[in-house]
Amino acid sequence: MTTTAVTSVEIASEAPRSDFGRVLAQRERRFAAALLAPAFLALLATTTFPLLFLVYTSAFRMDLAMPFTNGFVGFENYQVLLSDDRFWTSLLVSLVYTGSTVALQVVIGLALALLVMEMKRGQGWFRVIAILPVVLSPAVVGMIWRTFMLAPEFGIIDFLAINAGLGSKNWLGDPTLAMVSVISIHTWQWTPFAFMVLLASLASLPEDIYEAARLDRASAWQRFRRITLPLLRPAIVMVIIMRTMVALTAFAAIFTVTAGGPGTATEILNLYAYRKSFTELSIGYGSALAVALLIVTIIISGILFAMRRAK
Amino acid sequence: MSGQGQVSFRNIVKMHGEFAALKGVNFDIKPGEFFALLGPSGSGKSTTLRILAGLDTPTAGRVLIDDKDVTSTDARDRDIAMVFQSYALYPHMTVAENIAFPLEMAKLPKSEIAPAVKDAARKVKIDHLLDRKPGQLSGGQQQRCALARAIVRKARLFLLDEPLSNLDAKLRLETRAELKKLQRSLGVTAVYVTHDQEEAMTLADRMAVFMSGEIQQVGTPAEVFARPNSIDIAGFIGNPPMNLVPARYVDGDVIVAGHRLKTTTTTAGERDVVVGLRPGALRMSEGGLGARVDLIEDLGDTAVLDLDCAGTMIRMRVADGNIPGEGDTISITARPQDVHLFDPATRMRL
Repeated sequence: MTTTAVTSVEIASEAPRSDFGRVLAQRERRFAAALLAPAFLALLATTTFPLLFLVYTSAFRMDLAMPFTNGFVGFENYQVLLSDDRFWTSLLVSLVYTGSTVALQVVIGLALALLVMEMKRGQGWFRVIAILPVVLSPAVVGMIWRTFMLAPEFGIIDFLAINAGLGSKNWLGDPTLAMVSVISIHTWQWTPFAFMVLLASLASLPEDIYEAARLDRASAWQRFRRITLPLLRPAIVMVIIMRTMVALTAFAAIFTVTAGGPGTATEILNLYAYRKSFTELSIGYGSALAVALLIVTIIISGILFAMRRAK
Repeated sequence: MSGQGQVSFRNIVKMHGEFAALKGVNFDIKPGEFFALLGPSGSGKSTTLRILAGLDTPTAGRVLIDDKDVTSTDARDRDIAMVFQSYALYPHMTVAENIAFPLEMAKLPKSEIAPAVKDAARKVKIDHLLDRKPGQLSGGQQQRCALARAIVRKARLFLLDEPLSNLDAKLRLETRAELKKLQRSLGVTAVYVTHDQEEAMTLADRMAVFMSGEIQQVGTPAEVFARPNSIDIAGFIGNPPMNLVPARYVDGDVIVAGHRLKTTTTTAGERDVVVGLRPGALRMSEGGLGARVDLIEDLGDTAVLDLDCAGTMIRMRVADGNIPGEGDTISITARPQDVHLFDPATRMRL
């Protein structure tokens, strides 16, 4: 350390001023790189490498049940995938699941945030209670819903349905109801996130522009449409982007509640890839499905980010 | 213009919990008048304006606009335009959209909005900035945008909440003059809140002076300057403010620092008073109150002298060319009509 310092001082005293600046900048860059290296290497090892390995695997036939058929197949897995009805179904389920959960989260989250902003007292308590579902593990949430809430006769939801005169429903056994159930569970768990982000964003809006709008004769609805929504737009778009990425790759809650069933009614693409890889032990094809999910996620995120930049 | 813009406040009280922000405020504003609400911060002038705008509701009392009780009318339905101290521009809209907003809310057809926006922008000289967002404007330009948004609607009342306080000194003087011209040309009733007595003096046709939640005096700037109602107003209006010196009243004279001054004010017998002397009303003359010049603040055309009159500090304004040296002893006096007397107990004018 000391020796380098001495050398650099020597160089600096001889070199012209601009060189001195460049040397300093270079040293600073090197130091920054050194600080960054451990985290960067760790990320490389835990995310980039598995990703590349996944892409590599997807070019092989790797069937643990029939190891004698293993070997390099190039794009064959992808060709199979494009004509695989179950892939297209699971992609559709993924899109429905993502679209509806994200839309519900934003709408309910925004409505809650607007409501809580009006609360004179108890805002703090409401925030604490609201954040609770977010800190639970999705697997735990899935278990709670499957047993506590949706179990026929004994689950709270089913109990309420019976009392409301709707009769006992097979919440997780009926294809449509199962889909509704997993969407509700995800929405229940993650709406607080949207709520918290939008509430923080709402609280940061200046009060005086609302007073100006009142004097400008804007009605409550007009104030919401013309002022609140445009000013919240960046926060809303951010919530949509973050929640979409997560919803596309959701796993644990669905896995514990329906495991993709009944049949393939709630089998999102992620779950299909998992089932293919670890239930049917077809690792190569499962990898190809995972890569397909990655591509879909990148495309949708790209579209959302482009929309964010649009205005 | 949908009304005349006449305003009456009847015994308006505003409580914030135990604290009385307004303790029964009464005043009338005539149509077309430029009316200033003047007072130090916390005196209740902004609260008064907010109650007039309908942004706050009074705890008691009535607000009348054009003889109609609007006390419980929402701000939306009062037909009032306002310029906020913070300008309160809509940050996501361009200047043109900001100015157009009140017209859109009034459901004016697009064909009428565009020329009205241009016209309002031209009046405040920002018609070249219509496509900018507020964030891209300087403070002065934002202020003009807020003005344009307020005047575009031709409301019957035009409220201004310290509109110049965020501008630098030079711009403030320029804008002040333009504001007055604008108000005259529009012929609209304007209510102007300020803590700057100079602004109120130069702009207002009449003004109400607020002190701790009460109006202590209403009148033209000249009246308030010439005959302040209380010690507090006397000490607030004028630059430098009036000298306020404890003295003794004896048969038509007051004794200030051991010297007799004639006064036109008469009061019964012999009593303690507070004498008010405007720095500009003091004269140098033989046989007056002896004073030593402590400090001279030369302002170019005039100078302000800090005088020590046997332990009492008095400030005096003198014209250029007539300035004594620091440390000199001079003799000062004032005309009887310039000697104001106040009651030290009630703090009111005698």
